[in-house]
Amino acid sequence: MTTTDHKKLGIMYCVTAFTFFLIGGALAGAMRAELADTGSQLVGAQSYNTLFTVHGIIMIFLFVAPFGVGLANYLVPLQIGAPDMAFPRLNAMGYWFFAGGGLLVLLSSFASDAGGVATGWYLYPPLSGPRYSPGVGPDLLILGLALVAISTVMSGVNVITTTFLMRAPGMTMWRLPVFTWNVVVTAILGLVAFPPAVAAFVLLLFDRRLAGQAFDPLGGGDPIVYQHLFWFLGHPEVYILILPFFGVITETIPVFSRKPLFGYTGFILATLAIGALSTGVWAHHMFTTGVVDNPFFSAMTFTIAVPTGVKFFNWIGTMWGGKLSFRVPMLFSIGFLLNFLIGGITGVMLASAPLDFQLADSYFLVSHFHYTMMGGSVFGIFAAIYFWWPKAFGYMLSERFGRAVFALMLVGFNLTFWPQFVVGLRGMPRRIVDYAPGLGWDTPNLVSSLGALVLSAGVLLFLVDAFTSRRRRTPAGDDPWGGFSLEWATTSPPPEHNFSSLPRIRSERPAFDMRHPELVSGPPATASEPPA
Amino acid sequence: MRGRASRVTVIAAAVTVVMASVTSCSSSFGMPRGSTEQGEEIFDLWQIFFWAGIAVAVLVYGLIAWSLIRYRRRRRESDADLGLQFHANVPLEIIYTAIPVVIVIVLFTLSFGTEDRASSVSPTPDVVLRAEAFSWGWRFGFPDEGVEVVSEPSAEGVPGPEILLPLGRTTRIELTSNDVVHAFWVADFLYKRDAIPGRVNVFDVTPTEMGTYHGVCSEFCGIHHAYMTFTVRVVDQSEFDTWIARGAAAA
Repeated sequence: MTTTDHKKLGIMYCVTAFTFFLIGGALAGAMRAELADTGSQLVGAQSYNTLFTVHGIIMIFLFVAPFGVGLANYLVPLQIGAPDMAFPRLNAMGYWFFAGGGLLVLLSSFASDAGGVATGWYLYPPLSGPRYSPGVGPDLLILGLALVAISTVMSGVNVITTTFLMRAPGMTMWRLPVFTWNVVVTAILGLVAFPPAVAAFVLLLFDRRLAGQAFDPLGGGDPIVYQHLFWFLGHPEVYILILPFFGVITETIPVFSRKPLFGYTGFILATLAIGALSTGVWAHHMFTTGVVDNPFFSAMTFTIAVPTGVKFFNWIGTMWGGKLSFRVPMLFSIGFLLNFLIGGITGVMLASAPLDFQLADSYFLVSHFHYTMMGGSVFGIFAAIYFWWPKAFGYMLSERFGRAVFALMLVGFNLTFWPQFVVGLRGMPRRIVDYAPGLGWDTPNLVSSLGALVLSAGVLLFLVDAFTSRRRRTPAGDDPWGGFSLEWATTSPPPEHNFSSLPRIRSERPAFDMRHPELVSGPPATASEPPA
Repeated sequence: MRGRASRVTVIAAAVTVVMASVTSCSSSFGMPRGSTEQGEEIFDLWQIFFWAGIAVAVLVYGLIAWSLIRYRRRRRESDADLGLQFHANVPLEIIYTAIPVVIVIVLFTLSFGTEDRASSVSPTPDVVLRAEAFSWGWRFGFPDEGVEVVSEPSAEGVPGPEILLPLGRTTRIELTSNDVVHAFWVADFLYKRDAIPGRVNVFDVTPTEMGTYHGVCSEFCGIHHAYMTFTVRVVDQSEFDTWIARGAAAA
């Protein structure tokens, strides 16, 4: 409870976030059950609206983002050869803000007097205002999200400071492991994007409780201003949700290809470009409002496809000429590539304002989003779990179970979300509890719901794997994969202060250099390394 | 040699099957073809994006599949066997950065032109339709003709209101909301706009095909959002005139 050890906090972050994943997934299961057939059978409209609101908030703010923070907490000091984060107590405080905020969000949804919050995860006023959403639920939600936002800022400050100031001798920025690079850019985005969102939330709270009328047109306010502030968070947020997992698969693919990352410098530049561009694309969520400069935001959004495309070539170039072994973390990384490409291509379609006039707020958009966040980030999360579990706990997860988890998730995921592209093009809007028969929406929805069952089976099988592996405790050794970065040069699990001795750092993969000194390029090994 | 030849045959056959199944699908991939002049513009753009997307997917998936098959670790190899240890190839990196730049410039330019045409508003529309969204229904007014169609409160099993639009004529839609944010979407027109309280959004539709089209509210607006539907029936001018003359009552 009172620990300030970055490894324990990292694991606490990940376990808490994964618990939220199971809750959010159960909510999604209830929605798929409702949508399997036309008519309104299982849950009423009000409960359904709460389901998708809370599902979105949990998955975005309480699962994917904090899981990335957890990984960063666990890995950054290990990867840069530091004993802990720069501000260990701030780190612990950040975790408890996150856990407390998450609890408030759950309370707001299930324990409020006027039913759950039912506004959609982006809380657009006037719907989220006092007239249309009375009750204490939205207030608790806003406070919970504010706590989570503050925790994001705290961990962002910590990650940036730690990386800039606490690197081991020889670990220059251009030798920094790609995961650490990616979470540094993520942390900067958090610092840029969350403060305006907190401002928007506070103004919304004024509107709700103190007759503020900032966003109420009847009082001279403007709901569009809220949309700008919200999406100024909302769009960098999706990169906060994906960049750490770009980092994860960029750690795993080289290791399982037995090759260095192809185009390290280009990859880092692409990450920086994505970070910079992501702050200038927010209003592509507002093409249909008729009050933004569509061509500007459209052009910015198209541009962001370029650095993302570069990364695909980095990953392919890394596998090219390699000796690929398909262990479970590699399988999930390949799954990430296969799914995320679809998310990227449909993203370019949505970047086109006139196409967005058809696709916005349809199931096509829902599917696009899940191809990036579920097919991308969540597959990255599973790659990370299978890759670093042996490091964190000292024993292996099962290859056999892992392969089955991967197969079920890959098939289940695509069965769930591919039909949603089709039904979206046929005119099905998002966030509806019910749909009329005869519109060609029935079959795709049924397939999608069956797919969700397969996907859930995969996630449940992972839990079985975690419990049985824990009992079996197949020892991992310090470096079960032939890893590249520094965390593989210490014991599994690492000692409290991480390293008793550090290898010389002469490239971006010091643990590999230690095993293959004959392959190190650069100055001769006898020269003493100047401090970084 | 024979092993390699047969492998090439298998790959070629697989590629043929995939390409055939893709092209045999409707080239619209389920996108409605657009029943208005504005929608047809957007449909043409969709086809370009769709085929560009297929081309990128075939290329990237092809490269991934090739890497996975060709460079998989063989049985006789162990963890100690390394791949080629090259780090970068700057000319190649410049090329694979430049090609996406060219692709997105082309796509953006096409998309910019389409938006201009699809969203241009005629100064002399044939019909003006005032659409006001409310929670949860629609008030459709034809101010020039002095008639109005108003929703019954939407709920499960209650059909939304129906309006008629004349074929081949340009109807200007003036869209607003009197409470929360809603949106007006007819999927067959390939067009939606938000209905925002305190603002009026204006766009034109020029129907090119007779038919009955399903319309929905596409911005979440509260408990009965799912039932906030409406129907647009495109008819010829004389039927539209008769309908207006009868005070826009259902036929």
